[in-house]
Amino acid sequence: MKVKLLPRILLLLLMLFICAIVLLPFLIMVFTSLKDNAEILSPAFTLLPKEWRFSNYAAAMATSDWGRYFANSAFVTLVSVAVSLVINSLAGYAFARLNFKGRDTLFLLALVGMMIPPQVTMLPNFVVMSAFPFAGGNNAFGQGGSGLINTYAGLIAPYIAGAFGVFLFRQFFLNFPRSLDDAAKIDGLTRFGAFTRIYVPLSKTIFATLIVFKTTSTWNDYTWPLIIAGKRSIWTVQLALSVFKDEFVTQWNYLMAATTLITLPLIVLYIFMQKYFVEGIVATGIKG
Amino acid sequence: MKKKNSLSTDRCGYLFLAPYYIFFLIFIAFPLVTNVVLSFTNYNLKSISFAGLKNYRSLLEDDLFFISVRNTLIYVVFTVFLSILLGLLLALALNSAMLWGARFFRGIIYMPYVTSMVSISMVWLWLYNPTHGPLNALVEALGFSAKAWLYDERYALGAVIVMGIWKTMGYYMTLYLAGLNGIPGYLYEAARVDGASAVQRFFKITLPMLRPMTFFIMITGVINAFNVFEQINVMTAGGPMNATTTIMHQIYTRAFTEYRMGYAAAQAMFLLLIIVVFTMLNFRYGNQGQDLDVG
Repeated sequence: MKVKLLPRILLLLLMLFICAIVLLPFLIMVFTSLKDNAEILSPAFTLLPKEWRFSNYAAAMATSDWGRYFANSAFVTLVSVAVSLVINSLAGYAFARLNFKGRDTLFLLALVGMMIPPQVTMLPNFVVMSAFPFAGGNNAFGQGGSGLINTYAGLIAPYIAGAFGVFLFRQFFLNFPRSLDDAAKIDGLTRFGAFTRIYVPLSKTIFATLIVFKTTSTWNDYTWPLIIAGKRSIWTVQLALSVFKDEFVTQWNYLMAATTLITLPLIVLYIFMQKYFVEGIVATGIKG
Repeated sequence: MKKKNSLSTDRCGYLFLAPYYIFFLIFIAFPLVTNVVLSFTNYNLKSISFAGLKNYRSLLEDDLFFISVRNTLIYVVFTVFLSILLGLLLALALNSAMLWGARFFRGIIYMPYVTSMVSISMVWLWLYNPTHGPLNALVEALGFSAKAWLYDERYALGAVIVMGIWKTMGYYMTLYLAGLNGIPGYLYEAARVDGASAVQRFFKITLPMLRPMTFFIMITGVINAFNVFEQINVMTAGGPMNATTTIMHQIYTRAFTEYRMGYAAAQAMFLLLIIVVFTMLNFRYGNQGQDLDVG
């Protein structure tokens, strides 16, 4: 079949135009971060900076304890990803491969839990955190102290509770042939042994997919840190950026420099792990 | 599906599930119950007293909440439908054999979805800046007068919606691409043999076959859009004149700036109710003839 050249070129031009629109805000972010503030506030707008001021980045980072905020975000993300991978893969395996009473009811419960938006449980979660027994000076009834408010534990715990990973792992493990389990049994492996020795090593893709997904959602989250982290010492980068905005409202170059640095880790992750970003989508999307 | 008389039962299954359910119970199920209880109280982080239905009655008389519901609905309708439409069109373009470099384009258009809402909001705050922003520079270069975008009641919500579409359309596009890949090629071959035109093929094969995907997108998209909050809090704080306040923004304001936990909990119940109703409507009308395959 002959494909005409003209429509192909027109389509390509259209897509290039759309891509330019999608990319433009990112480019403006980077270029603005490199401009001199006087240039930004001058009436004539130019896309590229007249002089490239890379020192803006150091200056922006010196405005606050940014090293701490980046460390906090990295720590929270790392722990959330690691713990939820372990918990979710165990549960996903049980739902996919083990036979026990009430399994399907429990799975339905997990699905319902997945449908409840975290925003709805945010307010009561704050109350639960503040009244957490034996934490932050609280007594057994959750009275007397601040509970898990302003703690890393309080910041991280709700990220681990999500059911999405369980669902994803279950879907993935269901595709494994049953004969694997029989072989494991013959070799004298326990269920847990079969899980760690056979299932986990064969599941690199799904682990990578979930790492990418969970890293993105945790690193990017703003609402929960806003509520739970009043203390500067446990601020995440997203929360710090939103506060930075109010304090340096006219310093657009610093603001854009900080924004670029916060966005950068994920863009890099995205560029190198694009396959897994897309795979996660396909895995969740296709099955509904 | 499973053997009823299976001799082996794996008691250890409960151990595998235990860590997950401990977190589920403490940080999802228990808070949900707590929220229901709180909505019938006057809890303000210091004292608590039973309030009966007072919070729910206040909800009906709260003009600001009514405005936030209206704003949220406008946001949901426009972002979800326009993102779906653009996502579908982009997916069709990328799926077309006529396009060079489809992978490259997909990579770029999906990028905003990966970026945090706070970062994106910060960038668009600058784009929309009334005095020095790039958008007004463009608008003026085209011969129109500069607008105050986020500071003008007439444009603020629209400006937030445009940003929302820009951020999510790449996600829907990628979902639709996965859906398009799942359509078996022989359907198109058969249609071609029968002499169906490209338009007929689109409406008789492509769209119906994408229906489960559209259904999935509608459910998740609507739920996400109803919870719109982060960009509102960062960009407009609900203003100007409450033109962009949303349900979630009202809940946040009542709960964490006024500490009216009981009342905010009632608002959260209302939000959950709307989400459940919309999800059920989706199941009822969006999923005809097909079961949502969760197994």
